[in-house]
Parts: sequence; C-alpha cells; structure tokens
Amino acid sequence: MADSYLHRSADGAAVSRRTAIKLGTSAAAIALAAPAVIIPGRARAADKLALISWGGGYRKAWEEAFVNPFVKETGIEVVIADTPDLAKVKAQVTSKNVEWDVFDCPGSMALAGAAEGFWEPLDKKIIDTSDVYTAFGADYLPYYMFAGGVGWDPKRHAPGKAPADFVQLFDAAKFPGRRGLRTRISETLDIALLGDGVAPDKLYPLDVERGFKALDKIKPHVKKWIAETPQTISLVQNNEIDFSYTYSGRVKAAQKDGVSIEFSWAQTINALNYLTVLKGSKRKDAAMRLIAFTLRPDRAAAFAELLGYTPTVNKALPLITPETRRWMPDMKNPKNVVMDDLWWQKNYTALQKRYSEWQLT
Amino acid sequence: MRSRHVALFLAPSLLLMAAVFLVPLGQMAATSVDGAALSARAYEELAASTLFRRVLANTFEISLGSMLATLLLGYPIAYHLSRVPPARRAIYMVMVLLPFWTSILVKSFAFTVILGEQGIVNSLLRFAFGPTAALPLLFNRTGAIVGMVHYLLPFMVFPILVSLLAQGSDLHKAARVMGAGRTRIFLRVTLPLSLPGVLAGCVMTLVLSLGSFVTPELLGGRKDLMMANLVDFYTRVSLDWGVSSAIAVILLVLTGMLIVALARLPGEHKLI
Repeated sequence: MADSYLHRSADGAAVSRRTAIKLGTSAAAIALAAPAVIIPGRARAADKLALISWGGGYRKAWEEAFVNPFVKETGIEVVIADTPDLAKVKAQVTSKNVEWDVFDCPGSMALAGAAEGFWEPLDKKIIDTSDVYTAFGADYLPYYMFAGGVGWDPKRHAPGKAPADFVQLFDAAKFPGRRGLRTRISETLDIALLGDGVAPDKLYPLDVERGFKALDKIKPHVKKWIAETPQTISLVQNNEIDFSYTYSGRVKAAQKDGVSIEFSWAQTINALNYLTVLKGSKRKDAAMRLIAFTLRPDRAAAFAELLGYTPTVNKALPLITPETRRWMPDMKNPKNVVMDDLWWQKNYTALQKRYSEWQLT
Repeated sequence: MRSRHVALFLAPSLLLMAAVFLVPLGQMAATSVDGAALSARAYEELAASTLFRRVLANTFEISLGSMLATLLLGYPIAYHLSRVPPARRAIYMVMVLLPFWTSILVKSFAFTVILGEQGIVNSLLRFAFGPTAALPLLFNRTGAIVGMVHYLLPFMVFPILVSLLAQGSDLHKAARVMGAGRTRIFLRVTLPLSLPGVLAGCVMTLVLSLGSFVTPELLGGRKDLMMANLVDFYTRVSLDWGVSSAIAVILLVLTGMLIVALARLPGEHKLI
C-alpha cells in the first residue's frame, strides 16, 4: 500500500531533490509522533532495588522521605521508575523475568494482584506491622490513606451554596450546578449510595441496584464524566463544572498554585495505598527492608508532611504539624467511609463493565 | 533486474517487520484463542457484549468523521504549502508540526479555554447574538473530533503535499498553453494526480484515529468511549488478555477490510 504510493511519486515527472526531502519530512513526521507510544521506564541495573511508583511531586516526596535516607542508612541503591501497571506485573511474573521489586499501588491493583498470586508474602521478621491500624493482607501492606470528596470554586459558590457532603452533591434541586463524576465505578458507586442516604456504617456490602438508580437520577446534571484525574481540578478552574468529585491532595497542590478551589471535609471517601513485592523478585530482602523503612513513624510523618496523606501507623500521627493535619480526614467523623478494597476486588470487573455500558446509554 | 533490486532493498526492513511486528501479532492472535486450546471464549464474550458493539460503532464513527474533517482541512493547507516559495514553506511546515510537540493534557486544557461554555468561541457568540447563543462544543462528539483533527492534521498534510510537489510544473504550463483555466487545471490535472497522496493520508489518519485513546477521553462525552479504552480495561484492569487480544484481532480485521475498500475506490488511481 504505502510502497505503491511511494512508487508512484518516484515515477512521476519530477523526481527531484525536493521530492526526496519532502518524503523525508513525512517520515520525520511519523517519527515525531512515535514518542506518543509510551516507552516504560525500566530499572536496568541488576543490583539496584527497583521501586515502581508515580512521577512528579509524588516521586520527589518519596525520594526525600524514604529513598534518600534509606540509601544512606543501608547502602542499598534504589532506582525509581514510573508508573505502576498491573499488566506489566503480569507479564513479568508469568514469564518469570522479574525486573521490578517494590510496587506502589492503589487498592484495586494490590488486591487484584493478590488474587492472581503476583506478590511475595510480607516478611514479618523484617516488617514490623504491630502499629498499623488498618486491616491488611498477607502480601500487601497499606502505608497511607487518601481522601476523596467534593471540590468547588469558593469565588463562585459561597460556603453553604455548594454541596458539602454526598447527599448534597446528589441533590440537584437544592444545589443546582454542573457536576463532574468519575468514569470508574469504584468510589462513584460508594458516593452514589451515600448520596442516596445510605448510612455510612451500613455502606458495605454495596446495594448495587440502589446505587445505579441514584446514578440515573444525577446523570442529567453531570456535565463531564472524568477519566483523567487532573480534570477533576482543571474543569472547576475553567468554570466548565461547578462541583467535582476530587481528592484532597490534588486540591492542596492546586491551592498552592493559586487556583481558587476548596475541598469539603464534611464527608470523605478514604482509600488506602499499598506497597507490595513482586513474586520472584531478585532482591526480596532489600525490598522488605524498604517497606519496613516506610513504616517508621518519623519517615511516615515526613512523607505525610510533603503530600498531606494520612500515615497508617499510629505513632506517626502525633509527629505531624497542625498545618498538614488540616489536610487529613478526621477518622472519628461518623460520616467518613473507608473503601472496602476486598469487596471491590470481587465485584469491580463486572460492575465496571456495567457502568461503562450505562454511560453509553 | 529491477525487481530483484527492489527485493534486495526491501529485505532488511521486511525482516525487521517480521521479527518485531508479525511475530507479536501472531502471539496476540494465539492469546485470543487461548493458545493451543483454540477456545472461542473471548470471542463469545464479545459477541454477547452490548458494550463492545456500541464501542465498536463509536470507534468507526469517530474515526471516519475525523478522517473526513482532516481531509477537508488538510487538502487546502497542503495545496497552499505547495504554492509558496520553499523558504516560507519550511516555516509553515513547522507550524503544521506544532501539535506534535504539545502534551495532550496541555492541549485539552487549551481546548477547554477555546471551546468551553465560558470559552472564547462561546463568549464571542454570546457577545454577537445574545446571552442564550452558545453551542455545546466540548465533552461531546464535536469536542472529540476537534481534538482528533488537531492531532491528525500533519499526517494528512504531508502525504498530500508530497504528491502535489511531485507534479512537474511543465504539466501545468502545458495545460495553460492548451487554454485551460485555473479551476479546470485544478480539477483535471492537480487533483487527480494528488489522489494517491490523499489516499495515503486518509489511510494513515484512519489507522491512527482507530487506536486513539486519551483525546476522546479528555474532550469527548460519556458516549464517546473508544475501542482502545476497552482494550486498556481488559489488559490492565481485568487482566483478561484473551478478550483484549480478541478485540485487537477484530479491530485489525475490520480495519484491514476498510483499508482495502478505500484503496479499491473506483478511479484511475486505485492502489490495489
């Protein structure tokens, strides 16, 4: 196809230097587009511990709070690569060609991976979990909690005029405005049920049918179903939506950049982030030692200071400054909910298919 | 003699393609039927899935729409580029390539500023025709296609430009001597001779847009889910590589058929 096309112009009247240059230009155009195919960061050095985590400010916080002091203390070198991807874990573990060691991921990935047998059991001789106050499995360890809730622009909606909790977010009559919800069913179904009046302590197991009915009702008021997390902030900023389901960490960073956006602490969905070690890791002991290091109260508190997430070890909490504590959910607030990752692990795939289909109709 | 030379020149690239393209493609096809088990499970699941059928229809609608819009915008640009002096053309070509150097997240933010409810276009419309005159340009199919066209334009402009530049100026002189006017020269000489470039551009943009992923997610609405998003879901979230391979195989076959149909369009310049 392409080569008969080239043939034709080469056979044409004017095979000139110029034509050749133009052909070269279109080849260059394709080459320029090629980086759009993302080449994953690889941790090549065989003796270095490979940590797979997220980029940007998140990575800097990891370096400052955990990796740099860890290297100094243990002499174990660490390579940080972006981005946690369960498909690549599956490829490595099933082909027994494991390059990654420590994997930093949300509950959906940690539990799906656990069900597939992708993780090494946590070595309790190295990792002291006695102070961790949340539940966890034998092969995945929660190390911080993040909060999702309602975000809005205080310049456009004075306090009281914007929904503060999920019941108000799902009440379009009392709080008229354009809403932004996520394209993922986890979190979305939780807030739909809370919005429909389900008591926070009776949320799980989720009443799926009731949740979808609540979503049916709010559907006409949702202007954008958001797949990419940065849009949960930027669309409020651009005045394309009024009320967004977003995350405290994102709002904190946006406020720092001067964006007029507020986050409601009246009710939050709280989810855990986990650390795991890939099955067949060549540096298993070093990986366990890094995980143990993140649970040290002073380190966990330092990480919290940088990103505003809540540590999962009790002893870290008193070490956090009041300014940072302002960005942490009050776990004594009875309206707050912690996501049940185990429930979601069993139900996520089927419900996400149903939800995607629901959006198309 | 000549064909032997051609084969010789093509051999290295053909070998490379066989190793890095055909082999993985074969593996993917094998995964879709669960290897030696030759199971039709993945295909049965897709055949029963309303989600898959809707997304498949979406994918082809958005891709063909984007291809046509890109052609309508790209041809005049290529035509103009072929008529300006080479020095100025170089500058214009850089401008055509600009979309490549911008991250999609930045572009989506910029498009929101232009096309959004409070964006430049709608502000102008309200200024001109009163406060109710605003068009929904974002988070729907229009938004998705605008974003795609912006990305695809260079892939249409360059092949057409190449085929326009390959036309000798003698041809146009001859036509003029024979008494043809500008319109007639364009319709009878320039346009027909540029059709291979048009076809190449159409095929390239179509193939690229069939696999697009982030642009419709950022600028489209809830009904603009594309096939690549579904492949992503099966690959990375549900880890069901059988189904994601089956989707890829189906998309490959349908795209192949579409390209053959495009290339066989009636006319003197059909490619197959």
